[in-house]
Amino acid sequence: MRLSVVGFGFIGKSLVKAIKRKIDFLRELDRDFKVVGVFDSKGGVLSSSGLNLERLSIIEALPQYGEEYTNNLSVLDALREGAIDIMVEATPTNIDTGEPGLTYIREALKSGVNVVTANKGPLVLSYWELMELASKRRVQLLHEATVAAALPIFSLYKRCLQADRIQRISGILNGTTNYILSKMYFEGASFELALKEAQERGYAERDPSYDIDGIDAACKLVILGNAILGKKFTFKDVKRIGIRRVTPEAMALAKKSGYAIKLVGVVDDKPEVSPKMVPITHPLCVHGNLNAVHFETDLAGGVTIVGYGAGKETVSALLNDIIAILKSA
Amino acid sequence: MFTSLRFDITLLLPDRPGELLRALEPIAKCGGNIISIIHDRNKVSSNYAIVSLVADFPSRKNFLMAKKSLEKQGISIAKSEEVVEKETFNVIIIGEVDINELFEENEIQILEAEISRPTTGEQSLKLNFEVPKEKAEKAMDKLKKFGEERDLLLITPM
Repeated sequence: MRLSVVGFGFIGKSLVKAIKRKIDFLRELDRDFKVVGVFDSKGGVLSSSGLNLERLSIIEALPQYGEEYTNNLSVLDALREGAIDIMVEATPTNIDTGEPGLTYIREALKSGVNVVTANKGPLVLSYWELMELASKRRVQLLHEATVAAALPIFSLYKRCLQADRIQRISGILNGTTNYILSKMYFEGASFELALKEAQERGYAERDPSYDIDGIDAACKLVILGNAILGKKFTFKDVKRIGIRRVTPEAMALAKKSGYAIKLVGVVDDKPEVSPKMVPITHPLCVHGNLNAVHFETDLAGGVTIVGYGAGKETVSALLNDIIAILKSA
Repeated sequence: MFTSLRFDITLLLPDRPGELLRALEPIAKCGGNIISIIHDRNKVSSNYAIVSLVADFPSRKNFLMAKKSLEKQGISIAKSEEVVEKETFNVIIIGEVDINELFEENEIQILEAEISRPTTGEQSLKLNFEVPKEKAEKAMDKLKKFGEERDLLLITPM
């Protein structure tokens, strides 16, 4: 299979490194497996004989790959040429338009190309349209990395809870807010101070509203609700309250009663993300920048998975999806 | 769904054979389902035995019929009250809240309240309250609405 990576930011670069590290295993599954294209926002490199993974792994920006880098070359060109079989879409999330990822995914599926994505935007806006397109063209659209990154949520649901009816899913779905609230819980820090530290450590953006106002978690609830509960949710269906108003005094009062305040997303018929008092003995009560997802099911009862919801660990989910496609080919 | 009301009843029965059976009969006839019964013959005072029982009735009307029937038979009822199952909640409210208004407008029984007023920033109030189990969902919805109307941040347990 011929794979292309779209987006050469942190996730794209980390994925290329992980592919290089696991290349022998990937070629055991498919001896013709190769990375034929990598694209950034301004151009890309494309080679039918496969790119040099060693070189790709050490460069910071794609033009440094060498003279093969072509300005204005896009994955859409590669799709038109029929040059790829799997497209990994790792461009930045845009929840207003879904672009450029939405167009890339749509075109890839139309061209009969399997898609693996870490990008929430296209799925939040057009989950069912894209899934129907994938089904029509008999290709796969896998998106494990879109919710809680390295946590195998959709794989767990699809493979390990096949007989269960999922009644509700709740989770700590945003590492940045969990880091801030943990800082407030353990150190009595104010929200402002904890946010500043999260920004200094690179956990929070300069404009942190996407995380602290619950936008990121709400996007994940839409994907969970649609993909696992079969709902037709859109972003505006999610009731959303962020953590800006959580005071250190409120956290201290919660702590005294055996709770921690966490930004919890819950999806059933009425998806909601808001600060909640979580008993410290509950499996969802994880700290630092960890994520946790809790399934309530009719047979297994409660099932919780915990892990890292962002960062370089995301490539675990992307690679797992790539392997799933290689195995089903 | 079948629902019933639970009552806690204490009877004073003459300490004679057959009295307990005589007392239970009208309860059963009026649809009462006895959940537990304690007939402690060691606690006999003035030739009366104390019988404590808990019974479910299909409705309050059925219970009142049983009570009337017991009284008609000359059975003395020392106590009869509905057993109301209650649920306890913790809620944290952030923002300026008028406590009196909060208590007046919400049918909740406050067990404990703790308030923290920092010199800067918003006030935080923790409430521990109880409500009858069957009214719990409605009470929480009402409290949430109360909070929304006053721009308060309500942090409820998950």
